[in-house]
Amino acid sequence: MHPLFSRGAPLALYVLAWLVAGAIAAEILRLVVPQPATLALAYAVPLGLVYGFIVLSAWWVCRANPLANGRLGRAASSQLAAALQAAASWAAIGLAWGAALLRLHPIEGGRALLLREGLLLLLSGAPIYLLSAVVHYLVLAFAASREVERRLLESEVGAREAELRALRAQLNPHFLFNSLNSINALVGSDPEAARRMCERLGDFLRRTLALGARDDVALAEELELVERYLAIEQVRFGDRLRVERDVAADAAACRVPPLLLQPLVENAVKHGVAGRLDGGTVSLSAHRRGGSLVLAVENPVDPDAPGRPGAGLGLENVRRRLDAFGARAARLEAERGPEHFRVTLTLPAFESEAAGAAS
Amino acid sequence: MSAPRPLRALIVDDEAPARSLLREYLGAHPDVEVVGECANGFDAVKAAGELRADLVFLDVQMPKLDGFEVLELLDPQPAVVFCTAYDEFALRAFEVNAVDYLLKPFGRERLAEALARVHERLAAGAPVPAPSAAALAASARPPGRHLERLLVRDGANVHVVPLERLDYLEAQDDYVAIHAEGRSWLKHEPLAVIAAGLDPDRFVRIHRSYVVAVDRIARLELYAKDSRVAILADGRQLPVSRAGYARLRELM
Repeated sequence: MHPLFSRGAPLALYVLAWLVAGAIAAEILRLVVPQPATLALAYAVPLGLVYGFIVLSAWWVCRANPLANGRLGRAASSQLAAALQAAASWAAIGLAWGAALLRLHPIEGGRALLLREGLLLLLSGAPIYLLSAVVHYLVLAFAASREVERRLLESEVGAREAELRALRAQLNPHFLFNSLNSINALVGSDPEAARRMCERLGDFLRRTLALGARDDVALAEELELVERYLAIEQVRFGDRLRVERDVAADAAACRVPPLLLQPLVENAVKHGVAGRLDGGTVSLSAHRRGGSLVLAVENPVDPDAPGRPGAGLGLENVRRRLDAFGARAARLEAERGPEHFRVTLTLPAFESEAAGAAS
Repeated sequence: MSAPRPLRALIVDDEAPARSLLREYLGAHPDVEVVGECANGFDAVKAAGELRADLVFLDVQMPKLDGFEVLELLDPQPAVVFCTAYDEFALRAFEVNAVDYLLKPFGRERLAEALARVHERLAAGAPVPAPSAAALAASARPPGRHLERLLVRDGANVHVVPLERLDYLEAQDDYVAIHAEGRSWLKHEPLAVIAAGLDPDRFVRIHRSYVVAVDRIARLELYAKDSRVAILADGRQLPVSRAGYARLRELM
């Protein structure tokens, strides 16, 4: 359906414009060949109106032949063919209509006049159609740019939302409550340790907020945050929590979305280490493999532990952050064995550039 | 009111700082004696009986057994005060007659309040009312979800039977025999209470005395008019009542 038909006012205006054009054409016709005004009007006005609708067909031709690079030639030939077809149909309708009018109202030299008029329709029809095509291309381009703008706005809102969600998930209230409880305990037994813990917790929170506000960070910065987190959890879990790190130097410089790794490590502690009598080792690794950065977090799990309803949510958040990062090639794989859980992230490896360093 | 002997308290928490905090707080209460600390649910079940604890401070999220599972296995029931960072278990805690529910981090005053409640509960004369079996069974699983495992206490030991390994349940007087992987355990609980917690898509009550894991049934055989037997993958035969057969057909 042509967009002109979807609303009444523009359609009425369009019809009116063609009626006026038809009337003007009738006046011009009378100057060329003297004839009664009614005859000229009866000929020109309906034909103008008919062509007004015929040239709207350019809408479909334009949509089928977008002005994309490399396809301009095809679009031009399609439009030209459509223009000739439209003009020819118009001339044919003009001849038939004129002949009918002459039969009702014969005038002298009518037949010759009819042929000249037909020729005129054929010659003027094609440029009028092409003008219509140009206008339609402009309308389509305008609509497309509005659509792009809307999408841009939407993805921006989506990215902000993902960021907020991640931040909220990040500042896991239970982690805070438990840490505060540890501080509460240390105040009595070891006030110096309580102070250190307050400092670590403050540092962790500040870093989380700072990293979360950025588009991308160096993996080294994210690992820094992970270390702060682990230092706090170490106080709670003591030697039940052990950590192995295997980070290649060239991987540490890669840019990653912020708060990507930390939630995975938190999951590993919460659902893996905390659920086992003797705790376990969280293994962290980061390597470059070809053009990819491969990050992995692995933790042992208790074989008897029931399913963990909360864990899927954390993974979902990380997956979303990966999507928001815009890397098509990025993927997350979670693998649960009988005694371990491993999450592997693969994302394109690229190092700091001007845009990243500016923030 | 006299204070004849101090209450024997057991602290159960997998985090050392949380245990030391409670011990420190309780040091100011001469009416409470800390008789033990446990870092996991298995030890807690064992220690509560051996140490004859009157009062247990119980964390909810712990390795192996969570706080609710520990409570389910305690016999006799001591007074229980839950201590956790999670507020979402409070409702379940009171359904199983917990005396109080302390949210971490908590202060000395809040603990004193909890102790006052414990004294009130114990001074009422009656022993701590044991929660109903149904409430306990329901507390062992989060609301809206099915049981994932059965816990059986065997003296000081606790057996965990994940439901994936369960073949069938058999009612035996006041007990339920749990059959899994060729072994069986007895659990003191009515069959109906356990059956109510099971996933109805996986387990069917085929008879007044039997609940079976549907995927363990190899075939059904007609054995007399209106009575059938279910033959399990391991060759064992279980009776199927008419109502049980109707329930099976609905599922299969």
